[in-house]
Amino acid sequence: MKFEDSSQNIRGRLWIVQIFVVLLLAVLGVRLYYLQLVRGHYYAEIAQNQRIRLLPITAPRGVIFDREGRPLVDSRPTFNVILSREDLKGRNLFSLVKPLSEALTVDADTLSDRFAQISSQPAFESILVKQDVTAGDIAWVEAHELEFPELRVEQQPQRRYPSDGMLAHVLGYVSEIGPEQLKQATYKEKGFKPGDVIGQSGLEQTYDEYLRGRDGYRKVVVDSRGRIQDEIETVPPQPGQDLITSIDLDLQIAAEEQLRTSATKRGVILVMNPNNGEVLALASAPTFDPNLFSGRISTKEGRAEYAALLSDPETPLLNRAVQSRYPPGSTWKIPMAIAGLQQGAITLDHSNLLCGGGITVGNKFTRCMGNHGSPDVKAAITHSCDGYFYRLGLKMGIDGIVAMVDEFDLNKRTGIDIPNEVVSWTPSREFKRRMQPRSPEWNDIDTVYASFGQVYDIITPIALLRSISGIAVGGAMYTPHFVKEFKPVGEPGAADYRPSRGYVPLDGSRPNPKKVPIPEDIHHRVIEGMWSVVNAGGTGAGIRMAGFDIAGKTGTAQVVSLGKDVGKNKDHSWFVSYAPAYKPEIALVALIENSGFGGHHAAPAVRRVYDVYYRKTRHEEPPGALPVAKTPKPENNNTPKKRETQIAQN
Amino acid sequence: MARIQQRGLRDFDWLLAFLAIGIVAFGTVQIRYAQPTEGYWVKQLIGLGIAVVAMLAVAFTDYRKLINIAPAFYIFGLLLLVIVLIPGIGLKINGQRAWIRVPGIGQFQPSEFVKVTTAMMLARYFGRHRSGPLTLQEIAIGGLILALPIVLILLEHDVGSVITYLPILFIVLFLSAIRIRYVIAAAVLGIVLLPLAYWVGVKTHLVKNYQQERINVILDPEKADRRGFGYNTWQSILTVGEGGLLGADTSTAHSQSSLKFLPEPHTDFIFAVLAGHNGFIGCILVLFAYGLLLFRLIAGAKRAPDRMGMLVIMAIVGGLTCQIFINIGMELGILPVIGVPLPLMSAGLASLIATFIAIGFAISVQLRRFVN
Repeated sequence: MKFEDSSQNIRGRLWIVQIFVVLLLAVLGVRLYYLQLVRGHYYAEIAQNQRIRLLPITAPRGVIFDREGRPLVDSRPTFNVILSREDLKGRNLFSLVKPLSEALTVDADTLSDRFAQISSQPAFESILVKQDVTAGDIAWVEAHELEFPELRVEQQPQRRYPSDGMLAHVLGYVSEIGPEQLKQATYKEKGFKPGDVIGQSGLEQTYDEYLRGRDGYRKVVVDSRGRIQDEIETVPPQPGQDLITSIDLDLQIAAEEQLRTSATKRGVILVMNPNNGEVLALASAPTFDPNLFSGRISTKEGRAEYAALLSDPETPLLNRAVQSRYPPGSTWKIPMAIAGLQQGAITLDHSNLLCGGGITVGNKFTRCMGNHGSPDVKAAITHSCDGYFYRLGLKMGIDGIVAMVDEFDLNKRTGIDIPNEVVSWTPSREFKRRMQPRSPEWNDIDTVYASFGQVYDIITPIALLRSISGIAVGGAMYTPHFVKEFKPVGEPGAADYRPSRGYVPLDGSRPNPKKVPIPEDIHHRVIEGMWSVVNAGGTGAGIRMAGFDIAGKTGTAQVVSLGKDVGKNKDHSWFVSYAPAYKPEIALVALIENSGFGGHHAAPAVRRVYDVYYRKTRHEEPPGALPVAKTPKPENNNTPKKRETQIAQN
Repeated sequence: MARIQQRGLRDFDWLLAFLAIGIVAFGTVQIRYAQPTEGYWVKQLIGLGIAVVAMLAVAFTDYRKLINIAPAFYIFGLLLLVIVLIPGIGLKINGQRAWIRVPGIGQFQPSEFVKVTTAMMLARYFGRHRSGPLTLQEIAIGGLILALPIVLILLEHDVGSVITYLPILFIVLFLSAIRIRYVIAAAVLGIVLLPLAYWVGVKTHLVKNYQQERINVILDPEKADRRGFGYNTWQSILTVGEGGLLGADTSTAHSQSSLKFLPEPHTDFIFAVLAGHNGFIGCILVLFAYGLLLFRLIAGAKRAPDRMGMLVIMAIVGGLTCQIFINIGMELGILPVIGVPLPLMSAGLASLIATFIAIGFAISVQLRRFVN
């Protein structure tokens, strides 16, 4: 270098600069090596995740049909506004309460409650802001995309139940899985996550896994503000399996109608096919609107409505057919008669027992409502002679009665395919010990009480109807059920194909039907008695239908002791029946709570349902308009006077 | 003159020129990839045309004549920086009043040009024939030459540009026979004082919270506030990392820049885009190209006919190296985020033209190495 002098060593300094340049570039190269080659996969995954979102597409649940293919429950598409979790990171949820509640007209308190609740859960994917939104709401969300990019509109099918509460107790309802449920192992195993809608009652609960579809999803690309830019993949949801139930909508409507117009508007009408256990109708009144749970429950009004249902003294949420126990009154006499003959306490040739207008056991007199002389078993059933059955009970003894209870499964659940069925209370030495610890001994007077459907006999309508159905068909007791068929979904052979499925009893270990060995002649004799109740001047004579032989038995179950049985403490009115008497097609029980005599209230209700059945199957008007119910002879109003009967429902 | 022109064609540093043009061309591809829907890449090509013309003009002008009138350029540069500060003429972008609106072209950033005029001024002052080491007075005057534009730029709140000015002075002083003990003293002092100053700054709240966050994100990007002040660095790291060896296999529409995860992808973060798109191999090739360019310039400086020429080239080398390192370092998450464009790559006319003018200077110096 021309200008260099020895003291400056420019060349050397230039070298230093050169080395410095290389060093700096090398630092960058090493850093690139670390970021791209050492940690490349890790960063690539994070980068992928921040732009890919899986948006679930909720699968529609299977539609529930009646036996003739008429839809009972379906789903309609609704739109929800939700907040997507991924895009909420770092944003204060509660700052959104005010603008969102104002713009979408949601209750601010409800919203902040929900935010507080859901943000405490680690794994939420989205938060529901408003359900079933209007087109205006959707337009607002779209217009404010820049301001609230975390808002999304999501399509969700919503269950639509009959709004008058018809079949509410059978169908049940769906609702969002609760925080407590999420902690339970049974739900965890199935992989449910917050926000999932599941069957919570009735058939919706029992058959959730079949009715439930498989959710699909949209795999989308979002930009840094969470706005959807592109769709990569769509996996369509697979709908759930449609369910054909055994319900006959015509009979169901008739049954509901009868309860609605009954004296107290409380009770049960239960119809089943005694030949296979299919339930044709189940009406329990009062009822409720299941749409509350699948929709309105998330609103303030909805929660108030729910609270009102819970505290309603008339217990509308209760399925009275399977969750309530009632004293069966004289309907109890049918299995008693069968068992008495089976056990040899009476014989077909010598079945006469004294009525005596009642019976004195020890120093207590328990009376019969009439004086029937010395009726045979058939007449005792026809005229509902209590005196006869007191003496039959004493002949059978408590052990004989327990054997009967066992034989007809009255001390077990029927195994019906809706949840929360309760077990009936039936007479036994243990039951007495539990009920009256002060005098735990089982005495003859207890046997008398146990033999006519009071005090120790407190059973569910479904258990009663199952036993009577079994007797009707000669001893085959089928498990009551609602399922006829789950329809197949998908292409046969495909991995996600769900084949057709018929009824499978929930408890496979129990025989279906359970065979009760009833000799033909015994069966015939008892049937004659039941036939006579309606067709030969018995306690149910008022509902006779010429040409369609109804066999039945009235029952009037005391709720409180004699003399107080007025107003809301009136007796429960029962009528259990089947028809035709010698070729059973249909079995039917009606219970009208606190309405009075069985022949008076329950029997006419039963008859009107039979009318509908007759029209359907015989294609003609049922013979004879229903006569105005006459007051039949009162029956078994006689329980021990001192003691109040414990009981009635649940 | 004809002889010079003939010799010019032969001695012209073709490699340097084409290296620079090649980097710009490759950068333009990245700009287009980063902002496929915007016209930045077209502007960049137009800018390249202007820049090449400017480079040729400077290259074929005798650098000595230019340096002789360096004070005029220098004062003109300072005037530009003053004009920027006048509201109405100066444009405010991202909180920095650093742009001048020019009808037709759009806006341009005078601080990029002033860098060249300042380098010329320093070369002129220190380029006189000398013997013996620099005196303190000379160092002080050098400092003053640099301080004037720096103060004006600081008034624009453009801290990033200021940092790229400092190495110009450092390298000029270093090559102007400053005593080596001053250099060592300054280095030691810097190493000790910088962390100390930061610590004092944090304690006295002179270093603001967001500035601290920008430092923290460098120290530990995993734990930093990824959605706040650490966002840019974190997204840049992700983009770079995703590139892997050969580039991410994401489609253009789904890239970090298209989805707007990566901010300013065509300017400050163009290297991240390049890294994500071309992977490690592409990055190393680009670093190699920059290295070659700088070495070529340094080689030119070594052959410079006089001290002025050497200094002006080395001032350019200092400025470029510093800018490249700060920009890429920031994109790789080892330096805090400051708005320094990547020379020859980031979209932006001023930076592009200024860089080519500087390269033109270097070529001019080389062309005249045999003259005299």
